[in-house]
Amino acid sequence: MSALIFLIIFGFALTSILGLVASGIDRKVTARVQYRVGPPLWQPFIDIIKLLGKENLIPSGASKLAFLGAPLVGFASVVLVATLLWKNNLTPAQTLGGDLIVVLYLLVIPAISLMMGGFASKNPLASVGASREMKLILSYEIPFSLAVLVPVIKAGFLIRLGELINFQAQNGAVAGNLSGFIALGVALLCVQAKLGLVPFDISEAETEIVGGPLIEYSGAPLALFRLMKNMLLFVLPFFLIIVFMGGFKVAGWGLLWSVLKYVGLLVVITVIRNTNPRVRIDQAVRFFWGPVTAFALIAVVLAFLGK
Amino acid sequence: MNQLTNQLMSYFKVDAFSLFIGGFALFFYLLTRVYSLSFMRGRPGITRYNAYLFLTLISSWGAIFANHLIVFLVFWGFLGLLLYLLISFGQNERVPATAQKAMIIIGGSDALMILGLALIYHLSGSLNINEIHLGTDNKLALLAFICLACGALAKAGSMPFHSWIPDTAQDAPIPVTAYLPASLDKLLGIYFLARLTLTVFKLTPGLQTVLMMVGSITIVAAVMMALIQHDLKRLLGYHAVSQVGYMVLGIGTGIPVGIAGGLFHMLNHAIYKSCLFFCAGAVEKETGTTNLDKLGGLAKTMPITFISFLVAALAISGVPPLNGFASKWMIFQGVIETAHRGGHLWVLWLLAAMIGSAFTLASFMKVVHAVFLGQASQEEERRVGIKRETKPLMWIPMVVLAFLCLLFGLFAKAIPLDKFIFPSMGYEAAFPGVWNSSIATLLLVGAVFIGFLIFLMGTIMKTRRTEAFVGGERLQDHPEMRVSGTDFYHTIQDMRGLKGIYNLAEKKQFDPYEVGIREVSRLTNVMKILHNGILPTYLAWVLLGAAILMLVLMV
Repeated sequence: MSALIFLIIFGFALTSILGLVASGIDRKVTARVQYRVGPPLWQPFIDIIKLLGKENLIPSGASKLAFLGAPLVGFASVVLVATLLWKNNLTPAQTLGGDLIVVLYLLVIPAISLMMGGFASKNPLASVGASREMKLILSYEIPFSLAVLVPVIKAGFLIRLGELINFQAQNGAVAGNLSGFIALGVALLCVQAKLGLVPFDISEAETEIVGGPLIEYSGAPLALFRLMKNMLLFVLPFFLIIVFMGGFKVAGWGLLWSVLKYVGLLVVITVIRNTNPRVRIDQAVRFFWGPVTAFALIAVVLAFLGK
Repeated sequence: MNQLTNQLMSYFKVDAFSLFIGGFALFFYLLTRVYSLSFMRGRPGITRYNAYLFLTLISSWGAIFANHLIVFLVFWGFLGLLLYLLISFGQNERVPATAQKAMIIIGGSDALMILGLALIYHLSGSLNINEIHLGTDNKLALLAFICLACGALAKAGSMPFHSWIPDTAQDAPIPVTAYLPASLDKLLGIYFLARLTLTVFKLTPGLQTVLMMVGSITIVAAVMMALIQHDLKRLLGYHAVSQVGYMVLGIGTGIPVGIAGGLFHMLNHAIYKSCLFFCAGAVEKETGTTNLDKLGGLAKTMPITFISFLVAALAISGVPPLNGFASKWMIFQGVIETAHRGGHLWVLWLLAAMIGSAFTLASFMKVVHAVFLGQASQEEERRVGIKRETKPLMWIPMVVLAFLCLLFGLFAKAIPLDKFIFPSMGYEAAFPGVWNSSIATLLLVGAVFIGFLIFLMGTIMKTRRTEAFVGGERLQDHPEMRVSGTDFYHTIQDMRGLKGIYNLAEKKQFDPYEVGIREVSRLTNVMKILHNGILPTYLAWVLLGAAILMLVLMV
C-alpha cells in the first residue's frame, strides 16, 4: 500500500509536474534561440488539459483495444520507472523492485507503446514512423548498454541502483573519471534519441510523415502520449544522474546542486536539439553503430584500465 | 521377477530435475494433442500421426529418466527417427528434403554421441550417469565432452547445428514444430547439456568461455537472420535457434544464477515458442498462408489469437514483467558475475545478449504489424466478412500458454524457480540484482489505473470513427500505399558490411549442412566421370588396376 502511495506522489504527481516544467523550459529556451518570445512556462499544462477536452477520433477498421491501450501502457511504464528511480534515489539501502537492467528494459516500453499505437492506426505514415522508431531503438541500444556498463565496471560489478549511488557517495561520481565522462556523453546522445528530439526525431518527423505514430491520435490518448513524453524528459536525465552523477540529493544545499545537474543536462539536450537538422534513419543507424559505439567501447576499455 | 524389476529400475532414475523435465514434456504433449485434434482434422494418416506423437512422449521419458548412457542413447535415437516421421506429415514438395536434413543432422550428432559414450566408458569404466565424474583437463575427456555436447546442441538447435530448425519450422505441420523443435527438443537438449556440465563433467574456465561464445554467436546471428524473413513460420524457426543461445550462455557461465537463468529460459522458451507456433498455425488455418506479405489486419477478426500472440511476442522479446524478461535478467546477472573470475570478454557476451533481445523485439514488431495490425492486404480485405476467430480446440492451448507467460513472469520466484528450477539444481542461487516482479506489476497496474483516470477526465467515452489521414488522399483508392512491414528493416539489411553477410547467408554459405552437401557432391561428381556405364571403360580400369597391383607386388 505504501508503495502505491509512493507511486502516486513521486512516480506520478512529482514526476509529471517536473516533466511538464522541463518541457516548458525547453520550449522557452528554444523560442529564445530562434528569436521568438515563446509560450509561457505553464503552456505544457494547458496543452494537456486542452487535449483532454477534445474529441477522440479512432481510424476506421483499427483495433480499438490496441489503439487506446498503447498510450495507457506507455504512460504506466514511465510512471513505474519514475517510482523505482525515486525510491532507489531516496533510500538507496532498501531497493524496491528493480535494478539497472530492469530500468534499462522498462525504458524500452514507452517506445514499444508508441510503435503499437502507430501500428494500430492503420495508416501507412504511422507504420513508416513506427518502423523508424524500431530501427532507432536497434541503433542506440548497443552504445547505450555499453555506456551504462561503465558505472557497473567502476563500482566493481554492482547492478543495484542503490549500491551504485552509495559507491558514488564514497568514491565520487562516475562522470568525474575520464571513462565515466565519455560514457555520459554517449548516454546523453542516446537519451536524445530515446526522447525523439531533433536530430533524432525521425520517427515523428512532422514536416515529412506528419507525426508518424501519433498521426491518428487526438484527445485524451494524445494527451497521455504527450504527458508520457514530457515525463520522459525528466525521467531519462534523472536516470543518468543516478547512474553517472551520484544521484539526486534532496537535503540542504545538495538540492541546489542536484537541480543544477539536471538543468545542466537539460540545457545540453535543448542546445543539441536547436543546433542540428534532422538526420535520415540510415544516417542515424550509421552514426550510433559507428562513432558512438566506438566511443562507448573506448569508455569501457578505459574503465577496465581504471581511468 | 522382483529381481528383474529391480535390475530394470536401476537403469532409470527419478529425481527432481528429470521429474520437472518429464512433467513438462507431458504438459506440452497434452496441449499439442488438443491442438492437433482440430488442426490435423481430415488429413491422411491421422492415426499414425497420433501414434508417433505418443511414441515421442514415451521415448522422451525414456531419455529423460535414463540413468544408463546406453539406455539414454537408444531412446534419444528413437526421437530423431520420430522427428523424421513426423516432419513427413507436412504438405509441400520440400518436405522430404527437410525431413532428410533433420534426420542427417540429428543422426550424425547421435553418431558423435556414441563415440563420446565409448570414450567415457574407456575413461571411467562405467556408464551409469550418476557414477561418472570427469574433469575436462585431459584430451580424451575433452573429446568425450565435445562429442556429447554436440549431440545436446544439435538437439536443442544451437549453432552450428541449427540449420534443420528453420527448414522444419517452415515445412512440418505446425503442431509438430510446436512440440518438437520448439518445446520438447529444447527441454531435452538443454536438460542433457545441463546434466553434462553440472554433474558428469567438470568444466574448465576455457571451456565455459567456449560455451558462452557459442551461445552469444547463436543469439546474434540467428536473430539477424530472423529479422529479414518473409515467412512467419521460418521467422519463428530462426528465433527458436536464437533463444537457444541464451540457454547455452546461461549454462556456460557456471554461476548458479546464470545456470538457473538458462534452465528457466529453457522452460520459458518452450512456453512462448509453442504459443507463437500455435498462433501461426491458427493464422495459417484461417487464411491459408503464412507469407507475411499477404497477411494483415487480423487483430480485429482474430482477437484471441492476436492477444495470445502479442503476450508471447513481448515475452520472447524480454519485456518486463513477462517470463522471458525474468530468465534473461538472471542470465545477464550470471554473465556479469563471471567478471569476478577475471577476464573482460563478459562485456561482449552481455552486449550480444542485450542486442539480441532488441533485435528479437524488432522482428516481432514487424510480425505483429504484418499479420495482426497494419492495413490488410487486398486478398485479406476481400475476406473481411468471412474471416473469424479460430476454433476453441486451437485457441485454448494458446490462451493457456499465454497465461503461463504472464504467471511465470509475475511469480517468477514463487512458482517456477522455487518449485522447479532450484530443486532441480539442488541449491538456491543468490541474486546480485533485484527484480520484484509482483510489486512492480502491482505498481504497473496502479499506474495504468491513473492513466485510465486521466482518460476518464477527458472525453474518452465519446469516440468517433474516421478515415485515416494521408495528406488528403483516400486510402482505399491507393492500395499501393499499403505498408506490409516485411520491408521495415531494409535500411539495416542494406548497410555496408551487413549486406555482404546477408547475401552469403541467403546463399546458405553459413549452413554447414548445405556446404557439406555441396562439397560432397563436388567430390562425387569427379567420381561420376569414371562411372560412365560403358563396359570397355570398366575393363580398362580393371586391367589398369591389375597392372598396378602386379607392379607393386613384384617390385
